[in-house]
Amino acid sequence: MNKILIGLLKYPYWIFGITLVITIVFLSQMAQNSRMETNLDEYMPQEHPAFVYSNQAENWFNIKDGIIVAVRNEKNIYNEETLSIIKKLTKTFQKMPQVEKDDVTSLYTADNIIGTEDGMDVKSFYSSIPASQEELDDLRKKVKANKMVYGRLVSEDETVSMIIAAINDDVFTQEFYEEILSIARETETENVSIYVAGRPIVEGTMALLGPADMKKMVPIVLLVITIVLYLTLRSIRSTILTLLVVLLSTIWAFGLMALVSIPIYAVSTMIPVMLIAIGVADGIHLFSHLQLFRWKNPEVVLKDAVSDMLKKMWKPVVMTSVTTAVGFISLLTSQVYPIKYFGLFTAFGVLSAMLFSLVILPAGIMIFKLPAAKQRKAEKNDINSGFSIAEKILKYKSISILITVIIIAVSIAGIGKVWINSSFLDKFEKDSDIVLTDAFINQHFGGTSTLNLILDSKEPGVFKKPEVLRLVNRMQTEVVAANPQVGNSFSLTDYVNRMNKVMHADSAEYDNIPGNQELIAQYILLYEMSGDPENLWKVVDYNYQKLNVNFQLKSDNSKTINSAINKVETFKDDFQKLGIDMNYAGSGYTGLVFTDLILEGQIMSLVLSLFIVIMLLGLMFKNIWIGLIGSIPISITAIISFGIMGWSGIPLNTTTALLSSIAIGIGIDFAVHFIEQYKLYSTRGDKLLTAEKTISHTGRAILFNAVVVIAGFLVLLFSVFPPNRELGALVSANMFISFAGTLTIMLIMLNKSNIFFKNKKDN
Amino acid sequence: MKTLRLITFLVALLVLNSNEFYPQKLTGLQIMEKVYDRPEGNDMTSNLTMTLKNDSGDERVRKIKQFTRDFGTMEKKIMFFISPADVKNTSFMNWSYSRQGQDDDQWIYLPALKKTKRISSESKSDYFMGSDFTYDDLGDRQPNEDSHKLLKEEKYNSDDCYVIESKPEQLDYMYSRTVSWVAKDKWIVLKKEFYDEDGDLLKTLTVKKFENISGILVVTHTEMKNVQKNHQTIMDLKNVNINSGIEDSKFTERIMTRGL
Repeated sequence: MNKILIGLLKYPYWIFGITLVITIVFLSQMAQNSRMETNLDEYMPQEHPAFVYSNQAENWFNIKDGIIVAVRNEKNIYNEETLSIIKKLTKTFQKMPQVEKDDVTSLYTADNIIGTEDGMDVKSFYSSIPASQEELDDLRKKVKANKMVYGRLVSEDETVSMIIAAINDDVFTQEFYEEILSIARETETENVSIYVAGRPIVEGTMALLGPADMKKMVPIVLLVITIVLYLTLRSIRSTILTLLVVLLSTIWAFGLMALVSIPIYAVSTMIPVMLIAIGVADGIHLFSHLQLFRWKNPEVVLKDAVSDMLKKMWKPVVMTSVTTAVGFISLLTSQVYPIKYFGLFTAFGVLSAMLFSLVILPAGIMIFKLPAAKQRKAEKNDINSGFSIAEKILKYKSISILITVIIIAVSIAGIGKVWINSSFLDKFEKDSDIVLTDAFINQHFGGTSTLNLILDSKEPGVFKKPEVLRLVNRMQTEVVAANPQVGNSFSLTDYVNRMNKVMHADSAEYDNIPGNQELIAQYILLYEMSGDPENLWKVVDYNYQKLNVNFQLKSDNSKTINSAINKVETFKDDFQKLGIDMNYAGSGYTGLVFTDLILEGQIMSLVLSLFIVIMLLGLMFKNIWIGLIGSIPISITAIISFGIMGWSGIPLNTTTALLSSIAIGIGIDFAVHFIEQYKLYSTRGDKLLTAEKTISHTGRAILFNAVVVIAGFLVLLFSVFPPNRELGALVSANMFISFAGTLTIMLIMLNKSNIFFKNKKDN
Repeated sequence: MKTLRLITFLVALLVLNSNEFYPQKLTGLQIMEKVYDRPEGNDMTSNLTMTLKNDSGDERVRKIKQFTRDFGTMEKKIMFFISPADVKNTSFMNWSYSRQGQDDDQWIYLPALKKTKRISSESKSDYFMGSDFTYDDLGDRQPNEDSHKLLKEEKYNSDDCYVIESKPEQLDYMYSRTVSWVAKDKWIVLKKEFYDEDGDLLKTLTVKKFENISGILVVTHTEMKNVQKNHQTIMDLKNVNINSGIEDSKFTERIMTRGL
């Protein structure tokens, strides 16, 4: 293998040329074929039962996410100005091509079911703007008397009214959002302010803000990495070559993606992050080795120095890359396609980086005629300090072990506190407009997030039965009462209650479900005759065997959704006895399931790849104990990283979960390079000297690697998007833990195990 | 005229078996007047089966017995539900007045509540009982409320038809225009397209069957399809009796409570 690599040194220009051609092919593929997948449905595993059901239910009941526009007048909304604005905005939204006319709900479109002296009427609250004070007062009274609207479309303090425009998942664009915002801004007056919120806005903004922020931050990250890389390698050419490896491997990964026509998913934007963190390692180790070799042997010509580098280093480079790649390939076990692709293409990127490190890098050195960096005095001291560090580590090994055990114990305790969060809103700054608007609307209304409970029976007509509707009604009341985060709930029961009340002269004692199925059926018929029956099909199906119960939640985070579900589930047995099944639907719920799936896959893959790494290392070094020792940096990095998340309150979400892959990639790099070097030095048979030499050789490279990546990713702490900040902090932390773990506890274990030395004695 | 005149509507599609000779070509307005100005019979009894289909293919079927009588300046109608079982004997009465601007009077009797209640329909553009027919679609629209244009003459199925485009004179009407296929020899609208305020096709009405009953052609099977919502209503008339002499006393609140 190293002979081939050394042989290739003769043709550096050919190698560059061929690589360039392939890269151009990939680039042209990217130009033609790359597209960002923006339809969130495409991210979901559509064949998963929860998603299949939710999709069906969304179809049955026309469940869509709503853009919420709140119109506020501090005095109250019952004046000409505010009411005209509500009407005008309603009509504007109805005319937008992205919105279906019937999907806009406001005080202007709402049906008012009222009792009259001799019957029932379904009327609009207003169509032309009430002019006189009497008419305004009358409208105010009508709203206050109707629970279906009061507290739902008009806040109880009467200062805010909501307009909801439900849209399909795939219509949200930056332009659409801008349009809505500009409509809102233009409509605002001295007295009337307008707020825009809702899941499509949050989801859409996040999908736009995250990558946009990354686009801004990545060049700075790269710049910092370049500078630090230059400071450590102290050669512009080495720096460029190392970065070239990262750049080319990223292009190849995305190029292959374009070639096989797989779109870029949001998680795919993490691929460059992974490749930067992992890809610079090979370069640093290679250059570090080269530098040390040339300092020690100043008379050796460049080509021989490079040959020595390849001879000594090809094995660890291949081993680290293959194990890392296998670690990423284990993500194929995930049920979520974007994650599978993420694993696959990152693995491809890692292997490309390996190829470039072993081929392009040496070719580049030959072309650039890399001069030997001058050795500074300080660096001689470095080697000595490397010696003393090794000595100290081994001397105070019980302290190291003790500290490690304590940290691990604390981390494991922290893992218990890690919480999963599928919330989109929680990803924004606490004082951002989007969060403040959401809080404002939650304060005045039931909630900006929706959970849909779907009750499903085999028998048609079940949801006209009094005992069934009464149970639904009781459940709605109890779930809302038990959980302050559940603002209100809405279903067919609210129609029946209302009609029973108004048909009995608005008497409050009839604000309930009548005990007679015929009467319920006749009320509904009556409503159909006088109202807009389309509204009914949002809560019940044609055959009255499926019911949609809406719960409005004040937060979209997993804790809130789960606690509402837990309370709902206490009614499961009661419904089961009536032959009714419970299911859930809607984007809040599928988001929750989706996050769970990602985490499940991630943890599975973490365990699986740990196992594979132990086997691979055991195989490579022909000793299973080496496999176990080599997995130490990975294991402690993973454990401590989850521990940090638990203690610092960083929730597990799709981004942070993927970071455990970095722990594997980096952990393997450090461990393999270190063990390989340790093995080489161990031939001399002196345990302490082996440790010292390995620390000052590989330890130095590992330190450089850690410093470069940490410096780069710390830049992300200045990001305006909290998830990107968490990313920066966690990657840096992972890097540091792997570094520290490799040089302390793994070294101690290697030292204690006597593996390489035992072999010598046996021989 | 805010009315649910199902029967009027169906009768409005009757044939005028005219032998008159028209030397000059008919205008759109003249054609629509011929469709409008036809003897409709004084009263009608029938069994209506109304089938509603939504976009997921679900179906709801309602069976109704209905009586209608024309009193010149007003039309009275009474309907009794036969099925579904839980609304059986629910009855509905409607008096509609030909005087412009006078709202219909409507009553409903709910047997489970044992009470007759008045209800009101706010506008002609409301859909009738969750079907795809608005109250206005079911009623007689006077020809002079629209401006009519004869677009062309063509064959529809096997009938020679006039194709008439009608645009409302009043601005806030729910349709921007309608296009009707009128059978030449029968003066019957066989097909009608309804376009929404934005000018897009909203609904298509097709007449699937008409029968000669007591010398008058009665449309007995129609389908209205809302192409935007993919929702459909099928109206099927059976046991049609014309001019059987229904008493005025049939159309009272007392009769409503008696059921069938």
